[in-house]
Parts: sequence; C-alpha cells; structure tokens
Amino acid sequence: MPTADATDWGFASELEDVSGAVAIVGIGDADYTRASGRTTREIAAQATERALADAGLRPADVDGLMYVPFSGDQFAARDFHAHFGTSHALWESERGGGMVWAGSAPHDAALAIRSGRASCVLNTFAVAWATQRSQMVGGPGQVHAEDMIKRQLEVPFGWFPQPVYFATIARRHMHEFGTTAEQLGAIAVACRRHAGLTPSAVMRDRPLSLADYLASPLIVDPFRKEDCCLISDGGAAYIMTSLERARDLRQPVVAVLGVGVGNSRTGTYWSQQGAFTSTPQVFAAPGAFAMAGLGPGDVDVLACYDPFTIVSLMQIEDMGFCPKGEGGPFVAGERLHFDTGTLPYNTHGGMLSHAYVLGIAHVVEIVRQLRHHAAAQVRAAEIGVYGGYTGPQASTLVLARR
Amino acid sequence: MDADFPLPDPDWAPACELWAGAARGVLRIPRCDGCGRFVWYPGTPCRRCGGSDVTWCDVSGRGRLFSWSVVRHAWIPQVTDRLPFVTGLVALEEDPAVRLVTYVVDCTPEALRCDQPVRVVFRRLSYPGVAHTIVAPLFTPADT
Repeated sequence: MPTADATDWGFASELEDVSGAVAIVGIGDADYTRASGRTTREIAAQATERALADAGLRPADVDGLMYVPFSGDQFAARDFHAHFGTSHALWESERGGGMVWAGSAPHDAALAIRSGRASCVLNTFAVAWATQRSQMVGGPGQVHAEDMIKRQLEVPFGWFPQPVYFATIARRHMHEFGTTAEQLGAIAVACRRHAGLTPSAVMRDRPLSLADYLASPLIVDPFRKEDCCLISDGGAAYIMTSLERARDLRQPVVAVLGVGVGNSRTGTYWSQQGAFTSTPQVFAAPGAFAMAGLGPGDVDVLACYDPFTIVSLMQIEDMGFCPKGEGGPFVAGERLHFDTGTLPYNTHGGMLSHAYVLGIAHVVEIVRQLRHHAAAQVRAAEIGVYGGYTGPQASTLVLARR
Repeated sequence: MDADFPLPDPDWAPACELWAGAARGVLRIPRCDGCGRFVWYPGTPCRRCGGSDVTWCDVSGRGRLFSWSVVRHAWIPQVTDRLPFVTGLVALEEDPAVRLVTYVVDCTPEALRCDQPVRVVFRRLSYPGVAHTIVAPLFTPADT
C-alpha cells in the first residue's frame, strides 16, 4: 500500500491578506540567562518595559495583548495591569507568544487593528525552563509526556523526548539525501559565531569550530550536544501598530509584508508524519511570500525556530531557499554567516547559542537587523524572514524596512 | 507523572489489544472498518476516510527499519540502566505508512541501515521503580 503522497500530509491555513497593514514599532529583550529564579511573568514584564521604552510608548498606549495560554504563566491582561498599575480596556488574544505564533501573531494583530478592536498590540513570550529544570518540573518534555498516545506508544520504547525524535529525523534525512555531520555542524558553528558577537547571547563566550563540533561526543546519535538547543530563562516582546502610526514613532519602520501558516495532519506525532524529513514550512512559506510579493531570493536575513540543527536545515529547504534534499551542501561552509554568507541565518545565535526562548527573540533580531541596529549586522538588510515551528504547525513572517 | 512511568497502561482502551496480543506473541494492528486501511496511532481517526471504528488484526511482524537513533544520554532517569539503547521506527510490511515506535534489540548499532528488514520479537519491558512489567513488541534485524 502506498504511503501518503508528497502533499497529502499537510495544508496551508487560509489567511487574510495583511500585507502592509501593520509594522513592528517596539522590541524588547528580557535578560537571557541560565537558571535565574525568575518567573515567566517577571521575565515578560521586563521585556515589555523595554519594548515600550524602545517604541517611546507608555503602558496606557497599549490596547491589545497577545500571548500563548500554555507554557507556564504568560503575561495576560491582568498581569499587565498589575505590573503597570493600569486599568484601561485591553483586547486580548491567546494566538500570540513564541514558536509558530511569534510569526503568525502579526496577522491576527493586523485583523484586530483593521477592525478597530485594538490600535497598538503587544506580543510577549517568556520561559523559565532553566529554573524549572533545576527544580525537576516543567521543561519542553513535559507536555509530550502528558500526551496519552505518546505516553502509551512512544515513551515506553525510549522514543522521548524531543532530541530523540529529531535525531531520528536527522538520520532519515542523512539516508535520503546524503546529509552529513559536517553539514549539520556548519549550522551550529554559524550560530555560535553570531552568538559570540551578540552581547545578550548565553553562549557569547563559548567559541565553537567545526573541529570542536566533530570532536564532541554523540549524545543521541547522530546528534551531538551542539545540535541541540539550550535550556534558558528569558523572553521578549514586540509591539505592533498600523503603518501610518508607525511613521510617527521613533524607530525605523519595519513593516509586515507577508504571513503564512502551514499544518501537518499528524500533529505532534512526528513518527507518523507522511513526509518525515519535511516541516509544514512547505505549506506556510509559499503563502507568506505570495502575500509579500517576494520570493526566497529577495531575503537578506533569515531566522528560523531552531530546536535542533536538522530543523534549521529542513526549514531552509522547505521555505524554498534551496531544493529539497540539497540543504546539506547549501548550509556547508559559511553560507549562513552574517558577513561572508549569502543567506545570513540566526544572526543572534538562535536557540542553539543565543537563548531558548522559543522564537520570540528571533523576531526581535530580524527587526533589529532591518533597523540596522544588530550586533552581527547584515549589510544593508532590507527584507527579513522569520520561520516559526512547533511540529504540528509552521509559520513564515516576511518583514521589510520601509 | 504517573507511578508506572515510563511503562504503558495495558488497560488504556485504544491500545489494550496491542498489549494483549504481545502477551500471546502476536503483533496486532487496528484496521478501519470503513475503508480497510490500517490506523495508527490507535485512538486517532482514519487518515483516509476519517472513520473511528476499527477491528484489530494480526499482522506478520515483518517490516523495515525506517530510522533510529542511538541514545547515550538519559533524559529520564528510568532509562539510565539501558544506555546506550537503540530506539526508532519500523515501517510495517503490510502498510509502510504505519510506523511503530520500538526498541531495536540484538543488533550492532553501527551496522544498522535505513530500510533494512526487521522482525518482531516479544520481550518483557521493565523499568526501575515500576512494580509491574509488560511484554512488548520489539524489533531485531531479520535475515534477508
């Protein structure tokens, strides 16, 4: 019996055209650290304060708030008001936060702004998994251990948690396309180099050469530790408003040109995904680029949700930066480096080397690049893209300096 | 975390036939009553027709090693004694779209290759700190 055909395993979400409807006008990083003892709400509040200062806005100017309702206690309206001592009406959406939603939140914010439900929308995401890990609670594996099917049919056979899933995917990618450890290592090395230039990066003082990478022991073969993201405390925030209003604010205007969302029919059950070595970027990126009127060749700087090197590689292929299966040779050498590469990638260090805050810092970094304020600045960057990922879903966010 | 973690609950209705079959030395997989396609994971709708009624059937226990990893780090303490171990996915001979998560046993990890033939073996799984044990379908390289 044949397996699912090449496109049967997922689909694109229907999105309204929001090209040019909103701009990102304020960005804020919380402190990125190892275990810090902070709570997620404290982290999100710090990022929000910094995003407001960056935009030159007051708390009372924010009338919309986006977050994700799981992953610990996120920064909801009551938390915003408690922190800032405000009490005004806030449009609230649970379709924000990090991961895939760090890329798709601008679509929903644009609809809210277009319909008059909000005029200035804050999106935040924070994690305290480094602190929680030291207390043996929470962390990225917990939600999977609590999924009944995984609990019954994957966990008993040692196929748990995420590093094991993605090592298995990497092995298959190596089998199908000849991808090598050196090629995966090139991604880790590029990210670490960028982290070394980025003051906020957790791994800023930990240089990594390809030789270092290859000498590192296999912990979940074919992965080394350096193929896997950090576990961090931290978070970030960004503020969106209409393009017209953005022109009156203090920062260079970074407009949202395109948003796309793709879905896998098998959800978080990676083991059963028809196209095992692909991501739902296959379905997300075309819509985002079409909305923007651009293509992968127009992109000056790319940031993708990168829990593992292989997820970077697959998204780069699936977003159309190279043909499927050619990601290994494509990323080899210095292709992804901010200065010598033709596709500068995760220029803050990504989740491998900056901090594991699930993508929200990637969007902040792309905005910073397009303002020409980044640490590892890509020369004359005009178009930037974020690739969001959760497994079940992927998102593509196309941003442009205006 | 439940007390039996990481052993399964053999009474969990959607998969109890799997464990009952394993106890008798038979690999059993549900088929959709609507269209006849194998349904995996159990408890999810048929991916072809959306049907939810299934009948469990005996299958050959033959398949191919779709992919695997060699785990050398214990993300959960219960597997520490097993390190290193091979865990991966086996595509069933009857329908390769059905991929069983399993331990690959009695093998030389360095000699494994994707798509090599494997066959089921039934072994008792136990984990430290868990009072009961269960017979589970594991896989081993098959002679070609």
